[in-house]
This record gives sequence, structure tokens and C-alpha cells, in this order.
Amino acid sequence: MLRKLLFLTAALVAAAGLVFWLLTMPRPLDESVLAGTEPGDPVRGERMYFAGGCASCHASPEAEGVEGELGGGLVLTTDFGAFVAPNISPHPQDGIGDWSEMDFANAMLRGISPEGNHYYPAYPYTSYARMEVQDVRDIFAYLKSLPPVEGRADSHKIAFPFTLRRGIGLWKRLYLSAEPVVTFPEGTPENVLRGRYLVEGPGHCGECHTPRNFIGGLKLGQWLEGGPAAEGEGRVPGITPDEDGIGFWSEGDIAYFLESGFTPDFDSVGGAMVAVQKNMARLPAEDRESIAAYLKAIGQ
Amino acid sequence: MRKIVICISTLLFSASVFSVSAAAEIEDPVAVRKALMQAVAASAGTSSAMLRGNREYDMAVAKAAIATFHASAKALSSFFPENSHTGGTTAAPTIWKDPEAFGSAVAKFRAAAATAVDLAGHDGPADLEAFRQAVTPVLGNCSSCHQSFRVQN
Ligand code: HEC
Ligand code: HEC
Repeated sequence: MLRKLLFLTAALVAAAGLVFWLLTMPRPLDESVLAGTEPGDPVRGERMYFAGGCASCHASPEAEGVEGELGGGLVLTTDFGAFVAPNISPHPQDGIGDWSEMDFANAMLRGISPEGNHYYPAYPYTSYARMEVQDVRDIFAYLKSLPPVEGRADSHKIAFPFTLRRGIGLWKRLYLSAEPVVTFPEGTPENVLRGRYLVEGPGHCGECHTPRNFIGGLKLGQWLEGGPAAEGEGRVPGITPDEDGIGFWSEGDIAYFLESGFTPDFDSVGGAMVAVQKNMARLPAEDRESIAAYLKAIGQ
Repeated sequence: MRKIVICISTLLFSASVFSVSAAAEIEDPVAVRKALMQAVAASAGTSSAMLRGNREYDMAVAKAAIATFHASAKALSSFFPENSHTGGTTAAPTIWKDPEAFGSAVAKFRAAAATAVDLAGHDGPADLEAFRQAVTPVLGNCSSCHQSFRVQN
């Protein structure tokens, strides 16, 4: 009897383990995704790099002012622990200099490392997953044109069980999707759709402006409605076009804010948004206008 | 001897009362610093309207804006006493945790504003381009300071 019970328990544990193993398996892109796109173009890539705000996290903090040195080292303190942005300069040993395009595409679109491990979503690939493969190839080409930086960043300081990357596979099943968040009817103007792409994909605005649940997943039902800051102090304001958000801002006001950092009341941008705004200021005006058009079009 | 002790303690007591009332003279530091920031915001609005061509350039208006930045920058740091980090304020706790960093951010703002005052001269900057050169470094301080020292809640 006892032996039977032991056997049954062992079998159950093994089965649960197998299910966990299968559910958390990294699911890389198909090798064929690069086909049908052009080789990366660093000029287009620079625009996507600013849209994606890579430098806000990956620029070496001590290199303030030295543009394009992506040695990493910035610490992001969250409820789950302190994450450190790694070196993504083209240094062959310390950065991503010896990565293939497929390695990079899997990191950006699936949150998987070249060794097949899951990345923590502190790296906002849950948004980048909505990017087009061409734009990802272009960013890679741009990153390759930046100076290599020596030295690896510190490791993350997180506690068990978050130290086990495998478990992120389950989380990804719930929260990783390349589908747009907001669906628009047929005939929606092109610039609104472009704005959707920039906000929901590279711009990753929802990562800060949408509230999260207790396991750190975005509450998509409250898209861009604002909430407690996941990193740092205070609250992130809502940016929906209603009285809880920025309903009284015109499209021109939003575009001007992204360009200059001034609100319609001439309050000035602050906190984590400063780095975002500085990146937005580097985009062509039409991109800021598209973002503004999208922010006015959601929830209508 | 007892007399001296009483005397000294009376002195100390009245000194402490005095210093309390001196600090209390700034009755509502949060309200004062908010008013200063609103004056700065209004001047930033006028400046920006002229820089963007939404309002005709006017030397006297430009000078008034620069003078407002300057006066506010000089006054600002006096209105962040120890006990004023709570209650309807968006001042970040970092101001009191790292007063040196806050002090140097305010000093940068003050220096930029003082340079702008010099450039503006007696009548204000001669033309829009001169105004742009004087005021742009001042305006750059808004977001660099708010980045670390203002928090929405
Ligand atoms: C909000 C901060 C943040 C932003 C913005 C960000 N990253 Fe990261 N990134 C991270 C963190 C944190 C990690 C580490 C994840 C881990 O170890 O699981 C990371 C990891 C990476 C890696 C894997 C590096 C390695 O050595 O394995 C790559 C590649 C990368 N990011 C590229 C980018 C690019 C390109 C952008 C801009 C489009 C970007 N990141 C924007 C925080 C960020
Ligand atoms: C790293 C987190 C983060 C990201 C990413 C981010 N924001 Fe913000 N945003 C903030 C914070 C924090 C504030 C409040 C800033 C302040 O204190 O002035 C803010 C403020 C704003 C405001 C002003 C709202 C108001 O009521 O004053 C707008 C508009 C805005 N963000 C738009 C965007 C857009 C568009 C994107 C994507 C391109 C974006 N944000 C991405 C954190 C973020």
C-alpha cells in the first residue's frame, strides 16, 4: 500500500514536472522570419532605436553625455528585485558583438537568449514583440555601428523563486503576444495605425502607463490608464483621452509635449518620462504626430 | 547659582521659541514654492509662444520672463524646509535625502538665469534670436531638475 502510494506520488510529481517543462519551453522564432526582409539599414535603425528608448536603460550610467555607449549597468529596482541592464554594445565578449541576427530577433521578439533562456520582462520585449522583423534587423545594424564598450554589467539582485528563469515561460504564455492591444475598425487613418505601432511596439508606453497585476502582468483592460510606478517612486499618470487622462490636450499639445517636454500648462516633464521625451524629440515630427493621433483615437 | 541656571534655561527656552517662530514665518512653504513654479511655468509659456512664432516677439515681455526665472531661481531653495515633504506636494523625497544634489540642480538653474539677465541687458534681448540664445539654457533646467526631484502621486 505504502509503496503504491509512494509510486503514485512520484508519478504525479514527474507528470507535473513534465507539464511544467513543456509549458515553460522557450519558443524561438522560425528561421524563415528573416526571409522576405532586407538586410538591416543603420539609418532607419537609428530612428527605431530612439523610438525604442534602448539607451534609457542600456547607456552606461557613468557615461552620461557620451552618446551611444551601451555598456549597461543601470539598476532597475522593482518589487521582484533589482535588475541590471546588460552591455549591448558590439563588444564581442562583453556585449552582443558576436550575435547573429536570429539571436537578436529572438531576444527582441520572443525574450529568449542565444542559449535558449528566458529574459526577465524588465527588458520590455512584451512590447517589442509587436515590432516588425525589418525594424528589428535595422536596430541591430544600428547597434553594430556604435562603439564597443568593455566590461560586463553586474548581475541582477533578485530572490528565489524569481532566480529561476524557466518559470518566466509560464508568465510569457499569459502576457507575450504580438497582437495589437487596441483594435480599430476598417478605414482607420494611416497615421493612427502608425501611432499604434509606435506606442504599443517600440515606444513601449504601456509598460509604464498601464497598471500591473500582482505577478507583474499588464492589465490590458486598463490600457494606458496610469497607476503606481513599477520602478521608482510615485504614480505614472494616465494618458487616455478622457478626464482621468489627457482629455483636454489637443493632438498638437501631445506632439509638442513629446518634442519639448512642456505640457499645455507649461508644467515640465519629470521623472522617468524625461528620458522617453528626449528620445521622442529625436524622431521625425510625423512620428510624434502619429503617436498623438493614436492617443486621441483610443477608447472612442 | 540657581539663579544663573534658571536664567540660562530661560534664555535657551526663549531662544528655541524664537527659532521656532522664525521658521514658522514661512507659513506655508509648499504653497509658496508652488506659486514660484507657477510663475516659472507662465514665463515658460510666454517664452515658448514667442520662440515658436505663436506670439510676436516683444523685448519687454522677454525681459519680464527672464526676470521671473531669475527671481524664482534665487528664491526657490528657501522653501524646502525639513518638514515640508508631505501634504499636497509633488516634491520628490530625494530633495531631503540628497540635499547636495538638489542644491546643485538649483544652483545650475540660478546660474543659467543670471546669465540670461546679463544677456537681456537693460531693455531685453534685441531680437528673437538673442532671446533664444539667452533663454534656451534656462528652459533646459526644467526637465533635468524634474527628472530627479519631482514625482507625481
Ligand atoms: C526598461 C529598460 C530597458 C529598455 C528600454 C531596453 N532594455 Fe534591453 N534589457 C533590459 C534588461 C533589464 C535586460 C536583462 C534581461 C535579463 O537578463 O533577463 C535587457 C536585455 C537586453 C538584451 C539581451 C542582452 C544579453 O546580454 O543577453 C538585448 C539584446 C537588449 N536588451 C536589447 C535592447 C534593445 C535593442 C532595446 C531598445 C529597442 C532595449 N534593449 C531596451 C532593459 C531594457
Ligand atoms: C519609463 C516609464 C515611461 C514610459 C516608457 C513612458 N512614460 Fe510617459 N510618463 C511617465 C511618467 C513617470 C510620467 C509623469 C512625468 C512627470 O512627472 O512629469 C509620464 C508622463 C507622460 C505624459 C504627460 C501626462 C500628464 O498628465 O502630464 C504623456 C503625454 C506621456 N507620458 C506619454 C507617453 C508616451 C506617448 C509614451 C511612449 C512613447 C510614454 N509616455 C512612455 C513614464 C513613462
